[in-house]
Amino acid sequence: LGAGRPAAHCVCMVSDFFYPNMGGVESHVYQLSQCLIERGHKVLVVTHAYGHRKGVRYLTSGLKVYYLPLKVMYNQSTATTLFHSLPLLRCIFVRERVTIVHAHSSFSAMAHDALFHAKTMGLRTVFTDHSLFGFADVSSVLTNKLLTVSLCDTNHIICVSYTSKENTVLRAALDPRIVSVIPNAVDPTDFTPDPSRRDDSTVTIVVVSRLVYRKGIDLLSGIIPELCQKHPELHFIVGGEGPKRIILEEVRERYQLHDRVRLLGGLEHQDVRNVLVQGHIFLNTSLTEAFCMAIVEAASCGLQVVSTRVGGIPEVLPENLIILCEPSVKSLCDGIEKAIAKLRSGTLPSPETVHNEVKTFYTWRNVAERTEKVYDRVADEVVLPMNERLDRLMTHCGPVTGCIFAFLAVLNFLLLAFLRWMTPDSIIDVAIDATGPKGAWTKQYFCGKKGRVKEELPNS
Amino acid sequence: WQKVLYERQPFPDNYVDQRFLEELRKNVHARQYRYQAVVFQSGVVVQQLCSVCVFVLTWWYMDAGMLSPHGLFGAALVSSLLGYVLFDAVDGGAGRWASGRTRWADLKSTLVFAAFTYGFSPVLKTLTESISTDTIYAMSALMLLGHLIFFDYGANAAIVSSTLSLNMAIFASVCLASRLPRSLHAFVMVTFAMQIFALWPMLQKKLKAQTPRCYVGVTVLFALAALAGLATVSSVGAVLFASLLLAISCLCPYCLIRLQLLKDNIHGPWDEAEIKEDLSRFL
Repeated sequence: LGAGRPAAHCVCMVSDFFYPNMGGVESHVYQLSQCLIERGHKVLVVTHAYGHRKGVRYLTSGLKVYYLPLKVMYNQSTATTLFHSLPLLRCIFVRERVTIVHAHSSFSAMAHDALFHAKTMGLRTVFTDHSLFGFADVSSVLTNKLLTVSLCDTNHIICVSYTSKENTVLRAALDPRIVSVIPNAVDPTDFTPDPSRRDDSTVTIVVVSRLVYRKGIDLLSGIIPELCQKHPELHFIVGGEGPKRIILEEVRERYQLHDRVRLLGGLEHQDVRNVLVQGHIFLNTSLTEAFCMAIVEAASCGLQVVSTRVGGIPEVLPENLIILCEPSVKSLCDGIEKAIAKLRSGTLPSPETVHNEVKTFYTWRNVAERTEKVYDRVADEVVLPMNERLDRLMTHCGPVTGCIFAFLAVLNFLLLAFLRWMTPDSIIDVAIDATGPKGAWTKQYFCGKKGRVKEELPNS
Repeated sequence: WQKVLYERQPFPDNYVDQRFLEELRKNVHARQYRYQAVVFQSGVVVQQLCSVCVFVLTWWYMDAGMLSPHGLFGAALVSSLLGYVLFDAVDGGAGRWASGRTRWADLKSTLVFAAFTYGFSPVLKTLTESISTDTIYAMSALMLLGHLIFFDYGANAAIVSSTLSLNMAIFASVCLASRLPRSLHAFVMVTFAMQIFALWPMLQKKLKAQTPRCYVGVTVLFALAALAGLATVSSVGAVLFASLLLAISCLCPYCLIRLQLLKDNIHGPWDEAEIKEDLSRFL
């Protein structure tokens, strides 16, 4: 470990979305943090309080999580005033000796706040964008403007697919050279095939997604009756919950498909694999998707994937593992029939072969390695001093927005100066580094207190 | 270099290929308009403005006693009959055959409507006696404005509601009719409102679809008539109204076409896909 490498970074991951909330961003932040700790960096996570879960918690490998007492406004995202979180975040950044602030998800207000404060404090900033956004309606015009402001002086941006990179570069008017593409990953050991769980007298199609409009559930409601009438041995398993569940129930009622279409409701992440291995074909009907972990998970379980050709999906899997269709009922039905024909003729590769191929594609270790390169690069860059930052804001974000946010940046700077005068950095205690093989977490006395903590670090 | 994520490629992660943004499309749904076509389509707005103008003028003359209710009723009856014949004549009866509506049904609904309005006209006359005249005028103006806003000009938008639009116009006519001297005046006023706000647009629509040239002529004549009528009441009003009509039919189309050039709408693979089919057939 660490021979000839630049000094370890102290990275602070900031996002509104973290466990116990479930989703793509949450697992990304957790897995990336774990792998970075494994590579010898100090990592901490800052998020907002979830119900009774507030204060500081330690997760595996001494990953320290701050659950800050900030008000949640909408969809698990905190309210923002651009100022109220400065005292708390400054305290954390100083206590933990943070060198790089890594914010996640453009839907997270806290991530943008943290970027804003970190730049005022002169810290390096990295931002990961996990989603795609359009340009056509009023809401996207406004959010894209805010993203422009937030990213115009951020050191580096990470996107999860090339399509997502193009989207982010256009939305925030960025130089594409400061945007890296680092895909998401899945843990292949969690998604192993098990052909014995399949019922080979039937053909089972699995759908696992939230049942919302953006996931194309309306298309699914057309595909189910269309295909069930043609193929009497076809079964559907639908995992997930959401407002569109009602139309699937209506379709099931209308066409008397109770024994052939199973709606499982919301699934825990650990149950997903047990659902996936029961099927032969995985169907994804999303209307927009930056990366789509679901199809990688399904392919890792050895299923034939049929998906819409939207967003970054064509980049994710090679052509022999996925059948891409247009987002229409007819095209998707054709795609599924192609998959069924392949299945019947026995030309589909065996689940084991598919799994072995997919497991080499996306690993968290690889993601961490590439993210580390971004950190190394960012550590060599300079953070814009205040005058240049104001200049950048005013020239880059348009006359009105630029001036407003330049003014806010000045206010933020003054607030920071006031806080520094109230409690100078020198009298803020330095936190004990609990992470990693040399951290306090694995020290003898620490283990003695908490007997259940096990040494499970592979490199130590 | 390939645009794929599953292969390790010998390029740094922030590599920008020449193919970057090659799938970017601009102004996919932007339409190129022709000036004359837009001017032609603006006719329906001009027509509706003129209808409101003619209606208010008629009320003005009735209120001032310069137009007798018998005269108006006679003129309206004659023009309605003419319009009725024309309505079937322009498309050779094809529309009537498609709707399957008989002449007997038309006559019945006309009779029922006329009888009810006549019977209730004394009530209409005294309906708003306790309300101040200024309130009535303000309410009528608002309602006529609402009629113009919600009218179905042919655009496919959420704000369009021909029912609401017609109701607002009839409400305005009832308000104004209640300020006329006698109940016969009120009856004639409300029937006239029905003709000009409900029947006349239907005929216009058919004219526009079947005989566009004739439609342009009718629009110009109608606008000139409205202007001439307005000039007898207020010359300043006539000039202002004329400039409004000119602005709508000449200046606005010009602006639309000029602004269309500035359109900069970007599309690409990141756009949310649209479901183009009608999925309700499965339910």
